[in-house]
Amino acid sequence: MTVQKVWSLFDRSQLYECYECSKCSGSCPVTLAGDFLGPRKILLKCLQHGSGRVIRDPLLWYCTTCQVCQDRCPQEINIPELLTGLRNKAAKIGNIPERVKFTVEKIAKTGRSVLGFKVERERKRYNLPPVVEISKEEISKILAETGFFKDLKIDH
Amino acid sequence: MPPKHRKIATTTPGKDPRIGVFVCHCGLNIGGTVDVDKVAEYAASLPGVVFSAANLYTCSQPGQEEIKKAIVEQGLNRVVVASCSPRLHEPTFRKACAEAGLNPYLFEMANIREHCSWVHLHDPEAATMKAMDLVGMAVARARLLEPQKEITVPVTKSALVIGGGVAGIQASLDLADSGFKVYLVERSASIGGHMAQIDKTFPTMDCSICILAPKMAEAGRHPNIELLTMSEVEHVDGYVGNFTVKVRKRPRFVSDECTACGDCTHDCPQIAPDEFNAGLSTRKAIYIPFAQAVPSTYVIDLDLCLNKEGIMACDKCLQACKARCIQFSQKEETLQLQVGTIIVATGVDVYDPTSLTEYGYRRFPNVITSLEFERLINAGGPSQGNLIRPYDQTVPKKVAFLQCIGSRSTRSNKYCSNICCMNTIKDSLLIKEHWPETEIKVFYIDIRAFGKGFEDLYRRSRREGVEFIRGIPGEIIEDPETRDLILIGENMLLGEWYKYQVDMVILSVGIEPRHDSRRLQQILNLSTGQDGFYLEAHPKLRPVDTASSGIFLAGCAEGPKDVKDSVTQASAAAARAGILMSRGEVTIEAITARVDPEICTGCGMCIKVCPYHSIYKDEETGVARVVEASCAGCGTCAAECQFGAIKMLHFSDEQIYAQIDSATDNEPEKKIVSFCCNWCSYAGADFAGVSRIQYPPSARIIRTMCSGRVSPGFVRYAFARGAGAVLVSGCHPADCHYINANMQTEKRIRRIHKEMRRNGLNPERLQLAWVSAAEGQRFASIMEKMADFLKRVSPEEIRKTKEVYRKYLGEEAAQ
Ligand SMILES: Cc1cc2nc3c(=O)[nH]c(=O)nc-3n(C[C@H](O)[C@H](O)[C@H](O)COP(=O)(O)OP(=O)(O)OC[C@H]3O[C@@H](n4cnc5c(N)ncnc54)[C@H](O)[C@@H]3O)c2cc1C
Ligand code: SF4
Ligand code: SF4
Ligand code: SF4
Ligand code: SF4
Repeated sequence: MTVQKVWSLFDRSQLYECYECSKCSGSCPVTLAGDFLGPRKILLKCLQHGSGRVIRDPLLWYCTTCQVCQDRCPQEINIPELLTGLRNKAAKIGNIPERVKFTVEKIAKTGRSVLGFKVERERKRYNLPPVVEISKEEISKILAETGFFKDLKIDH
Repeated sequence: MPPKHRKIATTTPGKDPRIGVFVCHCGLNIGGTVDVDKVAEYAASLPGVVFSAANLYTCSQPGQEEIKKAIVEQGLNRVVVASCSPRLHEPTFRKACAEAGLNPYLFEMANIREHCSWVHLHDPEAATMKAMDLVGMAVARARLLEPQKEITVPVTKSALVIGGGVAGIQASLDLADSGFKVYLVERSASIGGHMAQIDKTFPTMDCSICILAPKMAEAGRHPNIELLTMSEVEHVDGYVGNFTVKVRKRPRFVSDECTACGDCTHDCPQIAPDEFNAGLSTRKAIYIPFAQAVPSTYVIDLDLCLNKEGIMACDKCLQACKARCIQFSQKEETLQLQVGTIIVATGVDVYDPTSLTEYGYRRFPNVITSLEFERLINAGGPSQGNLIRPYDQTVPKKVAFLQCIGSRSTRSNKYCSNICCMNTIKDSLLIKEHWPETEIKVFYIDIRAFGKGFEDLYRRSRREGVEFIRGIPGEIIEDPETRDLILIGENMLLGEWYKYQVDMVILSVGIEPRHDSRRLQQILNLSTGQDGFYLEAHPKLRPVDTASSGIFLAGCAEGPKDVKDSVTQASAAAARAGILMSRGEVTIEAITARVDPEICTGCGMCIKVCPYHSIYKDEETGVARVVEASCAGCGTCAAECQFGAIKMLHFSDEQIYAQIDSATDNEPEKKIVSFCCNWCSYAGADFAGVSRIQYPPSARIIRTMCSGRVSPGFVRYAFARGAGAVLVSGCHPADCHYINANMQTEKRIRRIHKEMRRNGLNPERLQLAWVSAAEGQRFASIMEKMADFLKRVSPEEIRKTKEVYRKYLGEEAAQ
């Protein structure tokens, strides 16, 4: 997906409504903790420079999609959605943290994001029935057909 | 005094129309998109047209002279100008016609700018085709125009001013000084409005009440001003020059003899937050709003007073008052006023930031609004002018202002409130003046210091060391121990994150339309813009008029503005009202209903639908008759009469049928025959044009005064002619300019929808839409949707519809 296509998810003129008040960045819990560009700068860079450089930034993955930026934005701009789109694109060019990739692979293989045996052990301790089986094939098929494996260069 | 007929012009058309068409380039506004010469050439080919020309600017003096010259030299008896909206220049061209001896009602306009070139900027070819159609429709109507006689009515030489803020006071004084009687209706206990609450005023830093109090006093004692406080307008009847106003005056329970000694207050046991001090202090049940109040009379708040419903539980104030002015027996009164003009100056409410939870207003005591700040820093305020933190009454050393609170946001009001930037700058200087050591930070998005003297004030504030930080905090956190506040955000210009601890935060709140502004809007038949403020008749050229003639706007009721602009506008409104009143009479357009006694069967349907009760049944003849002076010209009676006995002058059935004919001459299946009412939807379409909102060129707009004028026959006829779709549009239900005539529209459309369904036709091809004068975007999206829908209407469907409605084509065609 090109960024053009990322933007096709949005009413582009709505993104342009950003008037740089910084309330989103001021609200973002991640900006306070690290060097994350913050929602405002990411949006502005995309609008003025295109997304090319933004999607190379490994810190893009710091966003927790907590949505507080959109919640407080005076223009109600859907930045979390933009960030999701950008990360999809980042993943395709290989900018995806190992840990995230690991989780994704696990979903592909087991149909779940959390290690199964640990969960089962805990459930047993509390006398809970085992987790229902899910169709790994079905999930695998969905992931294959949406081009997921190809994009993330995952063998399956 | 009965209305008298005024002679306007002598020439009446002969049998054969001799039409002159003038197509305007409007510089590049039309000429840049529409091939004007081609349109003029096309016009020349139309039956009845004997003269056709293109002008660069038809409305200019030479343009008008050319029309006059052609009327005389070519013997024109009808004139068509294809240019901008008739809402803009119809009066101009009518006057030019009259000057050349042509009855102004023999003039017609084709709107090829707002409804064509401006909305089809990127499709010159389609725009030119549409312009040709619009000219064709105008010429078709012009052929059938008839001369009319206008009536003049007297104007009562007194005015009603609603709202006693600085704008209302100024307008009242100006009118009273010009010799007119003024009723100033104020709903609270004193005049003064927000300006009385403000400490100093930017940009001059004058003491606000010091410059306002003399004006208030003058208004209070002016022999021509009757001050009605605690009063509200309940109902308005009539029309320009002749309004009958019902005012409800609540009792004060204290007589005019009150000397404002204040003895009563001391003994009163009942306490409530003081509204004037923005709730920062308390008042009693018997109180005076503020020291300089006009009238200078105490008032009893009966909701708070212990004496309820005539039962006396407390007589403390009665005992205390030596002048014996307390009168619990006072009753509510209803007054009837006769006025010629009305000025609306009801001002604004101040935004309540409670819903912005991230800033903790009402949760954190040291977060206050700018209005509360005004009271805190005012010497007459609750802290005697000492800037203190509400929590512990200490003097703050670090203060932060947050801008654009409740403004410029889709989460609150979308517009800029216009005053809060300068107000903060003023406040920062006030703090620096008394407590120069205070650290002040202003968090802003943009600083708007656009007015005379504003930039100077801004510079002064910067020189005093006030820090302006670009980037609004994401949130405010309170230290539960100290009640200090921590602001977190991004300093955008440095690209750094900040975390500041301050003692006090002032939210620079915006201003918004009065919460109940809708009530007055309905009473007076006003329009509002998308922002909710009352709408002016024209944003540039008629900024204080409303679309309802004889009613004017002043001050913040029309939009956010500062004191100077409020006063300027008030004087302008007074001047506009004064012009009407000093002239003493006003001409009313000759658009009224007339019953043909030969055809009328006396069925009385028209009588039922007339919103003005202007039709009655003549007992002698048994037929309906119209009272011309009170007929407003909506035309809903004509649309209701199934016998065609009612003729609307200047909007006759024949004229409208001719327009439909012309609109559907070529490729009717690609067209949307659109009926738009003059006040709202036609104006909304104009607004789309002015805003250059682009939409597909399928609409062919026919203007009627009210959507109630649209007879079911027009719709059926358009379908019988093969129109792809029909749009009937009017004002939103409660905003009808003819009381409620559009309710009839709704009924009629519902009826046709049923009929269409019964005949197996898709009712979607007939749309009813309410579009206000400010909803250009809405009009465009309706057009967008309908054009899209049009693509899916099959030739088969069109054929079938034509068949169903064939009988409405009239005798010749039906054969
Ligand atoms: C915090 C703050 C600070 C400001 N500082 C400045 C400044 O420094 N300099 C400056 O130039 N401007 C300032 N302004 C703006 C200024 O207050 C306004 O421009 C001015 O008050 C507008 O006057 P107005 O008469 O239009 O409206 P208002 O002052 O709002 O008065 C309207 C009046 O109408 C009455 N009313 C309302 N509805 C009805 C009704 N239905 N019937 C009868 N009566 C009704 C109200 O009771 C009120 O008395 C400030 C505003 C605020 C909120
Ligand atoms: S959604 Fe992402 S960018 Fe937005 S505030 Fe949360 S972490 Fe920050
Ligand atoms: S909060 Fe919204 S308007 Fe403000 S900078 Fe962020 S995205 Fe732009
Ligand atoms: S005047 Fe200034 S603070 Fe007020 S809304 Fe406009 S930009 Fe914001
Ligand atoms: S219905 Fe309208 S046009 Fe007819 S008489 Fe009444 S006000 Fe006049």
